[in-house]
Amino acid sequence: MSTFYERFERHDHAAGLKAKSTHYCAGCGHGLVHRYLSEAIEELGLQDRTVAVSPVGCAVFLYYYFDVGNTQAAHGRAPAVAIGHKTANPEAVVVSYQGDGDLASIGLAEIVQAAQLGMPLSVIFVNNAVYGMTGGQMAPTTLMGQRTTTSPAGRDRHMGQPLKMAEMMAGMEGPIYVERVALYDAKQRVRARKAVRKALQLQAEGKGFAFVEVLAECPTHLKMTPAEAERWVRDELAAAFPLGVKKEVAGTAWGAWPVPVFEPEAVLRAAGALAEPAPRFCAGFPHTAFGPDVAVKLAGAGGDGAQTAALVLARAAIAEGFDATSIPSYGPESRGGTSSADVRIAEEEVLSPAAPAPHVLVAFNAPSLSRFGPAVVPGGLVLYDSSVIADPPALDPSVRLLGVPFAEIALELGQGMAKNVVALGALQGASGLFPEETLLAAVRQGLGDRGAGAALHEEAFRRGVRAAEAQAGGAGAFGWWH
Amino acid sequence: MAAVAERPRPVLHQEYCKGCGRCIEACTPGCIEAGTAIHPLTGLLPVTLHLESCNGCGLCVEACPEPYGMVAGDAPRLSPGASPRPFGRPPREPAAADEPAERVALPETRPLMLKGAHAAAVGALLAGCRHVYGYPITPSTDGAELMARLLPGLGGTFVQAVSEVATVNMMYGCGGAGRPAMTFTSSPGFSLMLEGISFMIGAEVPGVFVNVMRGGPGLGNIGPEQSDVKLACHGLGHGHTQAVVLAPSTPQEMLDLTFLAFELSFRYRNPVVVLADGYLGQMTGRVRLPPALVRPGLPAWAVPGDAAHRQNLICSFHLAEPDLEAHNHRLTEKYRRIAAAEQRADLYRCEDAEVLLVACHMPARMAKGAVRVLRGEGVAAGLFRPQTLWPFPVDALRPLLGRARRVVVVEASEGQLEDELRLALAREGTALPALAHVRRCGGMLPSQREIVEGVRAALRAGEARA
Ligand code: SF4
Ligand code: SF4
Ligand code: SF4
Repeated sequence: MSTFYERFERHDHAAGLKAKSTHYCAGCGHGLVHRYLSEAIEELGLQDRTVAVSPVGCAVFLYYYFDVGNTQAAHGRAPAVAIGHKTANPEAVVVSYQGDGDLASIGLAEIVQAAQLGMPLSVIFVNNAVYGMTGGQMAPTTLMGQRTTTSPAGRDRHMGQPLKMAEMMAGMEGPIYVERVALYDAKQRVRARKAVRKALQLQAEGKGFAFVEVLAECPTHLKMTPAEAERWVRDELAAAFPLGVKKEVAGTAWGAWPVPVFEPEAVLRAAGALAEPAPRFCAGFPHTAFGPDVAVKLAGAGGDGAQTAALVLARAAIAEGFDATSIPSYGPESRGGTSSADVRIAEEEVLSPAAPAPHVLVAFNAPSLSRFGPAVVPGGLVLYDSSVIADPPALDPSVRLLGVPFAEIALELGQGMAKNVVALGALQGASGLFPEETLLAAVRQGLGDRGAGAALHEEAFRRGVRAAEAQAGGAGAFGWWH
Repeated sequence: MAAVAERPRPVLHQEYCKGCGRCIEACTPGCIEAGTAIHPLTGLLPVTLHLESCNGCGLCVEACPEPYGMVAGDAPRLSPGASPRPFGRPPREPAAADEPAERVALPETRPLMLKGAHAAAVGALLAGCRHVYGYPITPSTDGAELMARLLPGLGGTFVQAVSEVATVNMMYGCGGAGRPAMTFTSSPGFSLMLEGISFMIGAEVPGVFVNVMRGGPGLGNIGPEQSDVKLACHGLGHGHTQAVVLAPSTPQEMLDLTFLAFELSFRYRNPVVVLADGYLGQMTGRVRLPPALVRPGLPAWAVPGDAAHRQNLICSFHLAEPDLEAHNHRLTEKYRRIAAAEQRADLYRCEDAEVLLVACHMPARMAKGAVRVLRGEGVAAGLFRPQTLWPFPVDALRPLLGRARRVVVVEASEGQLEDELRLALAREGTALPALAHVRRCGGMLPSQREIVEGVRAALRAGEARA
């Protein structure tokens, strides 16, 4: 009774005897581990839930034999593939079957992550102390002194010491069950069979990560008869890799798995999509001196709120039905202690989102002003925080330079962080780019529209407007908005 | 104690016995004898059984590595003390049929303000993706971060993998189970995923890779570069690999093309790459949602771990040479179908263009601005913007080449896009037009001014030659 296929159709199209025999060498331990795994799946009634992940190595053809869902993984990656399967369908019982080169060498990172995640998975690790499929090279578990084709004089300390995977797994928090078993006599085989079964059962019960290391015979590369190989495993391999349960904890169940939701309302909520159309206050695109594409740069130190203010500005333009983009300082521009954002607002379509030569600069500190001020186009507008910049540098005489105490006003309101809202107000007061309500609505949407915070932002914005208007000599005196 | 006769006796199938002798060691009464006669079918020395003193202990069966070598005689055997099948066994179901994906209409909503990487994430959610695997890498991480925040509320799963190598293999598993899976990555991370992508292509596993390209080679920098065009179009790991490569140039297209990527990925059972550049990933802009979202189905070929799909196998291994050759021929035929059906391009003022700018991703936006400027100067310029880099939209390009005297390729790389254009035309046997280029790289993008000047220079050079 087992879950082996009745005929191994995938084994060379079941030609001749291959329909019912494995590709393994005579006496190979893999065949026994297959037998116990197959019987455990059958006995537990898991055949229709099992996904077996075949490794690269001698067991690469595991999928020839097991009448379960099968997948074949890249070298070392079976645990990652297993995580993919388990998260895709948590009901599945996913078995990752690996050899020593696969698991303990090239796939170390994957097995360590899977183990520490602790997700219910069953890992069967067949350790025969040598690379089988590639022809007998040194494995991470090769014993000291053991001769292989890449340790012809025997493994010595310059080649590192055998890696004890079961102990490593047991030392981690993630796994709930770790045992090392062997196949060299009837007693060990009973234990091996039970351990494999237990590893599956723990997963089927939704408990956690189970790891069974099986010390196995590779008579071919040990250059021994199967009987000699059994004795070698008993006397040599098991001496270096002690058998037994390395870890067993009751653990808490892994818990409920998420159930995917596809309801439109839930998805729209997650995406932050709002059903009602945004209120509009503009009669048309602002008639600026610069045509239907306005470039604004907002710059300061990190934490000045330039990025947030940029997003609010872009949001305001989009709500009015225009196109707008905002992009944080990026690439070479981002160096030198300034954090800047470029906003482009276009009647139809923003083409280039960068603002290397802005029409408007909002500078929160002196370095930003001296750095970007000279780039402002002739006839442009520069707003700076006069509470931290005492002596603005000389700029092109056609550039309108306006100092507004962003920080001071915000501090008067008891909320220094609101200086970027003051700055937006100042931008409004100086440029009259949009109707006041446009920016205010975007401030509410971007920074919250309820409670004391909202009221404070509104006040900060209005004070910014008034301060700039006073400086500029009247509402929208800068003359963009006709 | 049970009578000896009640316990099942072993049955030996000599043709499936490899003569390893493990059963001999296991049998205390000594019922099993090492073989002496070569089996005519196997050429091996199978053991022989003498069951006179057999006590039916079954230890020989337990010791036999061959599934059909030494088997238990009749009654089913269980582990000592085990109850049979505690998890039950559902009746065997018929082989699975495709469970189709379903479109669910979305109400109209106001335009969103989304960063490019976030727009791709929202596109994936709308396409039904609930499984995201990833490893942090600038400038793609915003997409993964948004997914990590949103997926729990949508019953989805985000796994931060130990590396990009693990990431792609998690996608292989999830995609192999028939579920839409994706990742966000950037150039160096994409390089690490190539082996896995080759496995996905070989095993025909869907999955979507959003690669927000950065400057290379090596660690390069995090500036925007079209650095992986060659890799995505012609270097998806080892072997005969090809995948649709989509090239958005706005946050809107980040959403739309990521949404499309899932559809194509499942239609063709193949990974799809959404190539973006660092600028596009970081840029916030206006995004409208599509009219419907997708509730994914489950393809017949999947391996989710249930009865209906039990016979399935996800595998890129074909040991026999004729099998692998046939598999490659099938893949080639699939690539041919994709190349015929999935070319996409956006044409701006190309109808009467005498000079054709070719650009994609961010540089296409600057190129569009340049076309406007040039048109203002009376130059009949147009922009040909490939939205698929593989397949290159050569069918839409060819008819334009009669009128266009010059083609100027604008890109943020040292000629990777131009190479795609050359290769696509050469494959078609179309003569190459007079080519010029405007290139920046290393994290620098060509500016509108540079493009305008580049086109003017190309036109002057053309006149001088004429
Ligand atoms: S080489 Fe070793 S591990 Fe591989 S099949 Fe032969 S005996 Fe088994
Ligand atoms: S069932 Fe037991 S006694 Fe009988 S042949 Fe097998 S090992 Fe020997
Ligand atoms: S254990 Fe199996 S394969 Fe080995 S000799 Fe015995 S019957 Fe033959």
